[in-house]
Amino acid sequence: MPELPSIGPGPLAVALTTALHRSGLPVTPERAAGLARALRLVPPLDRVALYWTCRVALVTDRAQLPVFDAVFSAIFDGRLDPADSRGDPNAPPPIGAEPRTRPAPPDDRPSTPGESGGAAGSAAGEGEDTEREALLAVASTEERLRQTSFADLTDEELTGVRELVRRLVLSTPERRSRRVRPRRRGERLDLRRTVRAAQRTGGDPVRLVRAHRRTQPRRLVLLCDVSGSMEPYTRIYLTLLQGAVAGARAEAFVFSTRLTRLTRELSVRDPDQALARAGATTSDWAGGTRLAEGIGRFVAGHGRRGLARGAVVVVLSDGWATDDPEEVAEAMRRLRRLAHRVVWVNPRKAAPGYAPLVGGMAAALPFCDAFVSGHSLAALEQVVSAVAEERPGTG
Amino acid sequence: MPLPPEVVTAAARAGAGEEVQARIPDVATLAGALDGVDYLADPGLATALFLGVRLPQPLLLEGEPGVGKTEAAKALARVLDTPLYRLQCFEGIDAGEALYEWNHPRQLLGIRLAEARGAPLAEDDLFGPEYLLRRPLLQAIEHPGPRPAVLLLDEIDRADAEFEAFTFEVLAEAAVTVPELGTIRAAHPPVVVLTSNRTRDLHDALTRRCLYHWIDYPDPERVAEIVRRRVPGSAEPLAVAAASAVTRLRSLDMVKPPGIAEVIDWVAALSLLGLTRLDPPAVEATWGSVLKNRDDQELARTRGAAWLAGA
Repeated sequence: MPELPSIGPGPLAVALTTALHRSGLPVTPERAAGLARALRLVPPLDRVALYWTCRVALVTDRAQLPVFDAVFSAIFDGRLDPADSRGDPNAPPPIGAEPRTRPAPPDDRPSTPGESGGAAGSAAGEGEDTEREALLAVASTEERLRQTSFADLTDEELTGVRELVRRLVLSTPERRSRRVRPRRRGERLDLRRTVRAAQRTGGDPVRLVRAHRRTQPRRLVLLCDVSGSMEPYTRIYLTLLQGAVAGARAEAFVFSTRLTRLTRELSVRDPDQALARAGATTSDWAGGTRLAEGIGRFVAGHGRRGLARGAVVVVLSDGWATDDPEEVAEAMRRLRRLAHRVVWVNPRKAAPGYAPLVGGMAAALPFCDAFVSGHSLAALEQVVSAVAEERPGTG
Repeated sequence: MPLPPEVVTAAARAGAGEEVQARIPDVATLAGALDGVDYLADPGLATALFLGVRLPQPLLLEGEPGVGKTEAAKALARVLDTPLYRLQCFEGIDAGEALYEWNHPRQLLGIRLAEARGAPLAEDDLFGPEYLLRRPLLQAIEHPGPRPAVLLLDEIDRADAEFEAFTFEVLAEAAVTVPELGTIRAAHPPVVVLTSNRTRDLHDALTRRCLYHWIDYPDPERVAEIVRRRVPGSAEPLAVAAASAVTRLRSLDMVKPPGIAEVIDWVAALSLLGLTRLDPPAVEATWGSVLKNRDDQELARTRGAAWLAGA
């Protein structure tokens, strides 16, 4: 480590957090204050001590580490004066400089954390609602639109259909929760309430209060293929994903050559903004698909940790994969073992003479509980019922 | 609803007590003390734990299964010489399982006994401290000191968001109100360590209040050192060989990549069998202690025992 900047903890914390913020990391002033306090406890005697103190105090997610490391290194290894990193023309190009040119999304993130989760459900204002009703009315008179494949819609029609797709309500079958609520013929005794009641009868539990386990909807996970061959459907499907995230608290992922979790991006209010942001985080938009890789990564990185356990998993893909069908089968087998039900939506299924013979699709099919087309509005309703269906033999 | 941040920072600003300051004056001392209780912490983890105790601020630990997240909290409790209260979170966990519950069967018995003796029983008698079942959160808050207890909220991502908010409200206030008994205030607010496996995004309110540390899978030398300490009597070359073999296994596309726990199991099994070297026959005999998934075993077997043994 070369010479360390001889500035106090306060200015150092402010300079570093400012640089991080400019590079797109959501660092709050509160964290900067926390860092200043931390630096007083752990004097930055060398680079290692300084690095860990800053990292522990500022980073809130593993995904932020690459940017953090780049910015930290740019400031402290490049011997930039953090207090004046903007103005020095002779400064070496900071490694963390590239992200600055990108429009930084964290600025428009909901800043009050209390709102970010729940508010997404009420996506539309009152005024928009009537407009949507009108759209719905127009659309419902035009049965043609319902049956037209998404690939054949004009841009205008697409806008209208997206409004309708947003209104689709996906709901999953229920599973029993651990929590209970009182019920007259409940399956178990609610001891707490029974004791309360017993006090009134001199300690004799005359009245037995029964309780019943509550049920909860199963988790819904949507995996959407955004590769080139899916392009005509991608925009509609992303709208479907967004509706599901808002309404059914679904988890949404997109994949082509790699897997991206989109739940957060899709939960912001404005759908087009969400789509733009989705585009920003999916560098491989409209590239080739690696089905086994995408599903495999989902299972290994998210599904096995609990996301897919007992969940209804919907895969939206045409099954045109560049990877080995055997690998696809293996990934699907792993997914199938975790999930309650696997629903595959393939828009090409509706084409005349289509048979699932493409390598990846043929390999995946044995592990699917339902195989539907979802290529038009009418067909999306099949998706809704496929998601709601109970797996035979489970209660 | 979570409390406004002022409450948390106010609690944090109070700083750690003198007892704690004396015991853990700096990061190096903490690292040494953790080493003394056989937990090897790298500078990053030591810094994170130090700040968690001394700021004080809850520490959120993430990392692959088996890198020692839970062990870190246990080791910290040993260093502080205070009890560890562990709350294993799961879907649907509620206040009754985290905070307190009334011991209903005992209350019923109490009522019947009082009746048999002909003594009237007031409600206050029935809702006294002796009928209270204390759960980890309350135990950690009630801990009398002189140093704070360590509270481990394990796999917080498995609990639902409402529970997360509730927990943080309790911790921010460092007090619990039992309607029948009154408010129990912490003399020494607990040191809080949370672990998460990232099955869902944690609430911003939670991440905002926590220090964060991602634990990487350690390099083979460190793994070997950990194993040597955890399996007394194991041959040093065996630990080194097993650690690098597991690093080789982790490069394959595993359903469940073996972690440090598996290396420990493996070396323990090999030692028990009286083996001192990791050769192909030794590997053949002990596949099951290191790979606990059939698919993974098949995958590794295609590479062969000799590959794994590093021969």
